[in-house]
Amino acid sequence: MKQLKNFGEFESLRQELKVKEAENEKKVRIYIAMATCSIASGSAKVLEYFKEEMPKQPVEFVIKPTGCLGLCHSEPTVEVVLPGSGPVVFGKVDTKRAKLIIDEYIKNGKLIDGVIEEN
Amino acid sequence: MKSKQIKIALRNCGHIDPEDLSDYIARDGYKALSTTLSGSRETVVQTIIKSGLRGRGGGGFPTGKKWELAAAVKGDKKYVICNADEGDPGAFMDRSVLEGDPHSVLEAMAVCGYAIGADEGYIYIRAEYPLAIKRLKIAMAQAKEAGLLGQNILGTGFNFEIGLKYGAGAFVCGEETALIKSMEGNRGEPIMKPPYPAQKGFMGKPTNVNNVETFANIPAIINKGADWFASIGTEGSKGTKVFALAGKVKNVGLVEVPMGTTLRELIFDIGGGIVGGKKFKAAQTGGPSGGCLTEKHLDTPIDYESLKAAGSMMGSGGLIVMDEDNCMPAVAQFYLDFTVEESCGKCVPCREGNKVLYQILNKITHGNGTLEDLKKLKDLSEIIKSTSLCGLGQTAPNPVLSTLNNFYDEYYEHVVEKKCRAKVCRALIKYIIIPDKCVGCGACKRACPAEAISGEIKQKHLIDQDKCIKCGACYQKCKFNAIIIE
Repeated sequence: MKQLKNFGEFESLRQELKVKEAENEKKVRIYIAMATCSIASGSAKVLEYFKEEMPKQPVEFVIKPTGCLGLCHSEPTVEVVLPGSGPVVFGKVDTKRAKLIIDEYIKNGKLIDGVIEEN
Repeated sequence: MKSKQIKIALRNCGHIDPEDLSDYIARDGYKALSTTLSGSRETVVQTIIKSGLRGRGGGGFPTGKKWELAAAVKGDKKYVICNADEGDPGAFMDRSVLEGDPHSVLEAMAVCGYAIGADEGYIYIRAEYPLAIKRLKIAMAQAKEAGLLGQNILGTGFNFEIGLKYGAGAFVCGEETALIKSMEGNRGEPIMKPPYPAQKGFMGKPTNVNNVETFANIPAIINKGADWFASIGTEGSKGTKVFALAGKVKNVGLVEVPMGTTLRELIFDIGGGIVGGKKFKAAQTGGPSGGCLTEKHLDTPIDYESLKAAGSMMGSGGLIVMDEDNCMPAVAQFYLDFTVEESCGKCVPCREGNKVLYQILNKITHGNGTLEDLKKLKDLSEIIKSTSLCGLGQTAPNPVLSTLNNFYDEYYEHVVEKKCRAKVCRALIKYIIIPDKCVGCGACKRACPAEAISGEIKQKHLIDQDKCIKCGACYQKCKFNAIIIE
């Protein structure tokens, strides 16, 4: 990132990034927990899988490795936000479940078992 | 399960890439620093005072007041320190913040630096947190490159550099004076206060020390306002608290709830209740420095004062849930084992007193305790509390006192009836084979490492109580529920 020299430059960068963030909302967003706890339960493989499989799908997407949501009981967790829908968090995701998430939820909008309640 | 949660300190965890500064800025990152730098120092301090934020490391000292004290001291050089020496068993709030949202801590440290007049900060972090360290290093480099840390931040002439110092995982180094000693390259031993770090801290200079979670709240308070923050929580405890739910609770994990949430809401609504439908017995807050809360405290709103009144303390946020299978004298012994190990040894009450407390507890859990021991436990605990130098010693007897107060009947059973109702204390239990249920398969006999079980195949088996070492191997092997614990 280039050096920000004053408040004005910071503010315009902020606005620019907010616009970009808003554009991302039109895409499928996949957040993969990558904290120590998540990695210990296998999230690195899940991240790898999404990175490999998503480019083959006919949808626009963003994949983000993140910290954790604090859901230790269900790591690895993956949060998927389809354009226009609320976030859905899937628990205990391995590559098998990751495939299901892509095939059922991302492609067809059909929920699978093991969704963690968020209300 | 999140209905009762409000995420302030954890607002970005799980929603941004911690290794990408752009993600943080897009979610109002460094906006608080920018706002701060365009206003006066006093404004920042007053905002934090007004918000009512109190130290999240355990003590609960008002953060704004701490900043005000450090700001008022005259000095050419001052320091800001972030205490990331998270050491309570079962606590991982700070690790989660540092791994999921490192910039929020860096930003808050710079805000604090501006407020008190410091140009240098350090994060004292456990070397056992390699991923948090890695992400902090990346975040520091990115912020510096973007001109949000370092020299002449955003062209304002304000300089703020941040460095890392690694701790070797000594519990006592979470105490601020011991932490400073350790940072200076000395043994991690606490010193007498006053002088407080605000007057004479790191390298003898005025120093402000805050915990990770405390810092993580700062940018949100500046962005959304002191009144917004003060509208959450209870009369004396504002905002939210992150708890690490652990132990016998179904949904183990991190939760952030408004101050004033009850233990029942935490354990049963958010935590999903007790594993295996067992009966709730107690919850330990404040780790080895805290105490246990029992069924009668389930509906008490949790804040700094109510926990103190209940004989426990807020602590850093570890919350260990126990059920009917936990033996309370054994729990107290577990925590004492920890504090005895972690005592730095500088002052006598803590070094020697806690060791004696541990020995008495050991006697009780091994069936050799007397009623006199129970009185001794109480008296000695009071002496250690009132005469120890630092927080570690002053709070180490808390688990003993609170279990004695709340579960005296269990202690009584151990010393008088020589019984452990939770069937945890090996010296007080017996493994017995019920002849009617034994089919003589021989599985228990093969599993027994002490050759304490006799009996031919297809004949009733018998455990020789003199030889039995109470390891429980036979109990686990028996498929016919023919072995019981008495």
